[in-house]
Amino acid sequence: MEASFGVYYEKDSVIHKLDPRAKLLFMIVFLVSIFVAKDIFSYLLLILITISSILLSRVPFTLVLKGLKPIFVIVIFTTILNLFWTKGETVLVSLNVIPNFWTLTIYKESLIRAGVLALRIIVLMACTSLYFSYTTTPIELTDGIETGLAPLKKIKVPVHEFAMMMTIALRFIPTLIDETTKIMNAQKARGADFSNGGLVKRAKALIPIIIPLFVSAFRRADELATAMECRCYRGGNGRTRMKVLKMKARDYIFLLITILMIAGVVLLNIYAKGYKI
Amino acid sequence: MSIVELKEINFIYGKKSPYEIKALDNVNLTIEENCITGIIGHTGSGKSTLVQLLNGLIKADSGVVYIDGKDIWEKPKEISRIRFDVGMVMQYPEYQLFADSVKEDIAFGPKNMGLSDEEIEKRILQSIEFCGLEKDILDKSPFDLSGGQKRRVALAGVMAMNPKILVLDEPAAGLDPKGRREILGGIKEYQRKSSNSVVIVSHSMEDMAMYCDRAIVMSHARVVTHGTCEEVFSQHQLLLDVGLDVPEITGIILELRKKGINIPDNIYTVDGAVTAIKSLYLNGSVGGGV
Repeated sequence: MEASFGVYYEKDSVIHKLDPRAKLLFMIVFLVSIFVAKDIFSYLLLILITISSILLSRVPFTLVLKGLKPIFVIVIFTTILNLFWTKGETVLVSLNVIPNFWTLTIYKESLIRAGVLALRIIVLMACTSLYFSYTTTPIELTDGIETGLAPLKKIKVPVHEFAMMMTIALRFIPTLIDETTKIMNAQKARGADFSNGGLVKRAKALIPIIIPLFVSAFRRADELATAMECRCYRGGNGRTRMKVLKMKARDYIFLLITILMIAGVVLLNIYAKGYKI
Repeated sequence: MSIVELKEINFIYGKKSPYEIKALDNVNLTIEENCITGIIGHTGSGKSTLVQLLNGLIKADSGVVYIDGKDIWEKPKEISRIRFDVGMVMQYPEYQLFADSVKEDIAFGPKNMGLSDEEIEKRILQSIEFCGLEKDILDKSPFDLSGGQKRRVALAGVMAMNPKILVLDEPAAGLDPKGRREILGGIKEYQRKSSNSVVIVSHSMEDMAMYCDRAIVMSHARVVTHGTCEEVFSQHQLLLDVGLDVPEITGIILELRKKGINIPDNIYTVDGAVTAIKSLYLNGSVGGGV
């Protein structure tokens, strides 16, 4: 099993060193910007930011593209849907597929809309995976969420517990994928067949995988709980950190860029009306 | 006669990614019929990858695997057939148990083969005997057993398929010396009685010397040497060069030789050492006789 989306890529770059809270804030603003953007210049600005982020992070382009593989189906699906099933004014292509019954028409507007939508999804996914998985370890990310949401503790939201649960869940995803592969191989070696037969048969064939997987997940949870207790874990109260998150100059510069980005998109929205797409 | 033949096998993990690792590098190998073959090597030397090729769990990037003279990937759709001929016990097999009772779990493999109920019953009884389990365990839940017992049940589940070749990846890992002896002894007994071929992967030189007839040494994705245990273990320097140890007893013998005691250097089991040292005394070349 391969999971290229969501794997940390170790490099010593500016983007890697950024404070996870700054990255979180940036991603929220970036998300808003993508949906606010309406003209060609704002899109160019967002693409420019994505590409320069990838260059700065020194993560290879091929790896980012590979991480996009799982969403290609969604991109193609929405593109086709937009291309053929939305109406516009200027007709680009008109094909009489079945005479007198169904004519395939592609409008200029739907072509643009489909393109913009595909672009939105790609840019969004590329940026999210770059900032959140390739350049930030899951630990940093949950640390960022925990400290970022710390004010919520005042209204009794168990922020630390949620963050810890998230850390543990993230930590065990690769382990469980590994485990699943191993168990599948072991059962395949005993002649189990997962790919043939009807629905009921296939569902039944999963039992020899699911039961050992659950058993081992519970075993691991138990062992982890014991290990944590042995190291005197007792929740978030009074817990100090080895790595205390601290905003540095580069983080403030990064936040400044973030603000400039949304300001730019909003201004272009107002003043570049002629280039609306 | 060789039962397995590997020709120019290459295998790479994470091909074309930054994490590319070459696990097998142009491996050529034959495994003999009707004996126990040990595959020895350090962690990461490619031994587990090698055995997974044998029953088609993974496919080599290049090269051919012949079992009984036939290319196993000749008809890729029928690859699961080969798994009835090549039984595989993975590392820590106790984690694959799933059924309500030990009996059902052992019957899983034979059932997949489409055997009759009587035949399955017969094979279950046979295989638990090899694994040193009692009959009354059959109705228990596999999850109520001790770690060592679970391991044996998992082993019995594969033995019950009566494969032409039984492959075991570190069958004794994590067991105490008594558990090791029982499991490995049971495997040896199974081999002698069934005349099937057995392949054991291990990094314990002592176990290899005790239970295997032939040995294959792997290091850095390559086969360094192979042959009978005598042939392999007599190449002390080579074994040390690839970072493996000679069996402890061989180490002692070699030290004795350095001290000028005239003892043969091809001893790699404790029993062999006892005989050799006794004969030294009888010949009167050491001490004043017995």
